[in-house]
Amino acid sequence: MSLWLERLSTDRIARQWREAPSPLAVFGKRGNRDLLVAVDAVAERVGLTTGLALAQARAMHPTLTAMPEDQAADARLLDAMADWCQRYTPLLATNPPDGILLDIGGCAHLFGGEEKLRDDLLTRVTCFGFSARAAIAASIGAASAAARFGGAAITPTDHEHDLLAPLPLAALRLSSDMVAALARVGLKRIGDILDLPRAPLAARFGAELLRMLDRALAREYEPLTPRLPVAPYIAEKNFHEPIAREEDVLATVERLAARLKAALAARGDGARRLELALFRTDGAVKRIAAGTSRPVRDPQAIRALFVERLAALGDEIDPGFGFDLARLSVLTAEPCPDEQIGLGGHEDRAELDRLVDRLSARLGRRRVSRLVAHDSHIPEFAAAALPAQATARAELGWEAFRRFRVQADLSPRPLRFLAKPEPIEDVFALVPDGPPVRFRWRRALHEVIAVEGPERIEGAWWSEEGGLARDYFRVEDKAGLRFWLFRAGLYRDMARGLPRPHWFLHGMYA
Amino acid sequence: MDAPARPGFCSPAGAPAALDRLRRELRAAEAATGLTPEGGAALALGIPAIDGVLGGGLSCGALHEIASAHETETAAGTGFALALAARQVFPSWRGASRTDESVVSARIVGRNVLWIAEEFSLAENGAPYGPGLDGAGIAPERLITVTAARGRDVLWAMEEALRCRAVGVVIGEMRSRGIDQVMTRRLALAAAAGDSLGLLLRTTPRDEPSAAATRWIIGAAPSFLRSGGDDESCHGLGPPRLTARLVRNRRGHLGAWIVEWNSVEQRFELATHYEPVAGAAFDRPHRAAVA
Repeated sequence: MSLWLERLSTDRIARQWREAPSPLAVFGKRGNRDLLVAVDAVAERVGLTTGLALAQARAMHPTLTAMPEDQAADARLLDAMADWCQRYTPLLATNPPDGILLDIGGCAHLFGGEEKLRDDLLTRVTCFGFSARAAIAASIGAASAAARFGGAAITPTDHEHDLLAPLPLAALRLSSDMVAALARVGLKRIGDILDLPRAPLAARFGAELLRMLDRALAREYEPLTPRLPVAPYIAEKNFHEPIAREEDVLATVERLAARLKAALAARGDGARRLELALFRTDGAVKRIAAGTSRPVRDPQAIRALFVERLAALGDEIDPGFGFDLARLSVLTAEPCPDEQIGLGGHEDRAELDRLVDRLSARLGRRRVSRLVAHDSHIPEFAAAALPAQATARAELGWEAFRRFRVQADLSPRPLRFLAKPEPIEDVFALVPDGPPVRFRWRRALHEVIAVEGPERIEGAWWSEEGGLARDYFRVEDKAGLRFWLFRAGLYRDMARGLPRPHWFLHGMYA
Repeated sequence: MDAPARPGFCSPAGAPAALDRLRRELRAAEAATGLTPEGGAALALGIPAIDGVLGGGLSCGALHEIASAHETETAAGTGFALALAARQVFPSWRGASRTDESVVSARIVGRNVLWIAEEFSLAENGAPYGPGLDGAGIAPERLITVTAARGRDVLWAMEEALRCRAVGVVIGEMRSRGIDQVMTRRLALAAAAGDSLGLLLRTTPRDEPSAAATRWIIGAAPSFLRSGGDDESCHGLGPPRLTARLVRNRRGHLGAWIVEWNSVEQRFELATHYEPVAGAAFDRPHRAAVA
C-alpha cells in the first residue's frame, strides 16, 4: 500500500495554528527565485500552483499567507507518521518527500480486509489534519502511481495493466527529463508504451524506463527496504479505551511477554534486546528499549526490566490522552538453553545477570561495565570498560595479563587512573632526563622524596598518531601521596626538532 | 548510638559485669532493628590490635563508611576499601604467593564486587584501573563498575546491589553532599538482608549522623623508604602505608593506626615502627630462687 500525504508541508503548518490561515502556501528558493513549493487546497482552488513565483502569487492574492519551507521539519514529520503507521505493519519504508510505503501482506485480515485497513488508515490520518490518499496494489510502482495520479483504490493482482494504462508516464517514477523526452515523441500515457517493442524503447530511452515499467507491472520484484529492522518476535495489544497509568503499561508488558514466551520457547530462543512501542492516541510513538545479559523468556523478568526503564525515563513518557496500542518486540533473540536449576554457581550467575540488567535498564547500558584487558603496552589502552551486559560470558583477558606481568616483571600499576593525563607544572629535575624533585599539580606543590623509574613506554611508532615515547616514574611525596608521572618525549629528541618534553600525571597509588 | 563508655576505667568493682549486661541488651535491641545482626560473620583484618577493637573484625552484612582524609588522598581510601573487599570475597587468596597458578584460578570463584561511583568523581579522582587492581588484591574479572550521573542514583544502585546474593561487596563512592540518615539506614538494612559488605567511600571526611557500623578516615602515610643503592639522596618506594583512624565504632573503642600493605601476602600489617622496638621480656626467674 502506498500512502501519499498530498500536502504535507502546508498541513504541517496548518496544524500548528488554531485557525489556519488560508490560502496558505510554502515557498522556497529555487535557483535565484522564491517559488511556491507547496499550496493548500484553498490556494489551489483560487489558481495558485507550485512553481509560481512568490511575488506573482502575492500580486494575484494579497491575502495569501506564505511561509518559508522547512525540509527538515517535513522529514521529521514524515518519520513520525511512518512510526505511527507501524501500527498496521512492521514492514514499511518512507518514500520521501511525502510518501510512506507499507507492506501489508499478511496483515490486512487483522483489520478486516484490505479495504477496511485502508479506510481505517485514511480516517485516522485525516483526523490528524492531513489530506492523504492511499492505494493498494501488488507492486510498489502500481500502488504509488494509483495513490498519486488517481486510480483504483485497490488493484487486484494481475490488473496492474488496466490500472496503469490511462495514467501519465510520470506515474512510473521517472525523472522529469525522461518524461519530457518521451513527451517530445508523443508518448504521454503509460498505455502508449505498454505495447511498443521493448528493444527500440530500451535503446532510445535506456534500461531504466523498462525497469520501472516492469516493476510497476509486478513483472520484476521490487523489494521494500524497511525503515527499521523487522523484529523476529512481536506481540501487540490494542485498547479500545486508551491506557495512561504506569501500572497498566507494566501489566500489558507482562501479558505481551507471556505471549512472546510461548513463541520464543517454541524455537528455543530467548530475548536479548527488547523494545516496547507505545502508540499514543494523538499519533506520537514512544519507543523504549531494554537489554539483558542473557537470553530471557520469563515475563516477570521482562516486566522487571521495564519497571526500571520507566522509572529512569520518568516524565519523558508523557502519556497525554493515553496509549491505544502497545507492542512488545524482541529485537535480538539468541538461543536460550533450558538450564538446570539448583546447581551451585549457576544461580549466583543468574542473580548477578539480573542485577546487571536492572542497573543497565535504569542507568544506561554503557554505565554498567566490566574491565577488559587489551593486549597493548600503552597504559590507557591496556584496559577498557565494556558494557557488562555484553561481557557476561566473555573472556576478559586478565589471566594473560597476569602471566605477562609476572614474566615481564612489570612495575606496579596505579589503582586509580586518569582517563586524560593531567599536565603538571613547575617540574624541577636535577638532570633533564631524571625524575622530578618537585612538581605542582592542581595548584599544590609536591616535594618528591622517593622515586622509582624510569619505565620507558614507547609510543605506537608504527603509526602516524602514535605519540611520543614516555618515561614513567613512580614517586612519593613528603605527605606520602604516591603518583604515577610521566614525561612525554625525550630531551635528546629535541635535537631532531621534536617539541620540548612535557610532564603529566597519569594515576594515583594507594 | 555512639560507642559505649570505656569499661574498666575508674569504675567500682562489679561495674564491668553491669556494663557487659548493658552491652548485651544494646546488641539485642540493635539486632531487633536489623542493623547489626547478632552472630553475623566478622571480617578480620588480620591485625590483632584492630580486630580486638572491632570485636573480632568488621561485621559483614553491615554498612561501613570510609572517608579519605583529604580529597587528594582518595586513592588511599580506595586502596583500603579494595583491600577489605578482597578479604571478604577472596578468602582463599590470603597468605598465598601471587604467582601461584592454582591460587590465581581459586580467586576467580569468589563473589562479585561492585564499584558504584559518581561520574564526576571518577573524572576527578581517576577511574579504577584494571592492571593496578591485582596489586590491591582484587581480581578485575570480579569487579563490575557502575557510574551514575547523580548521587541518589549511586545510593539507589548500592541498595539494589547490596540486596543481591551474588554480590559480596558494594563500594559506593560519593563525592558530594551529605547523605541523610534514612538513606544510610536503608543501605545498612539492605546489607544485612543480602549479607554483603557495604562500603561507603567518601572523598572527604563527613561528620553527619549515619547508620554505618564503623567510620574510618584513611589518609596516605610516607612509606618506609628503601635505600637507592649508591646514591644516598635517591630512595625507592617502600610498601604503601596508610593512616587508618577509626572515628566511630558501634561495637567498641576507637583508635588510630598506621598500616602497611603487604602485597605478597595481600594483607595489611601494622607498620613496623608502631610495634615495640624490643621484644617482650621472657619470664626469667632469679637463679638464686631456683637453687
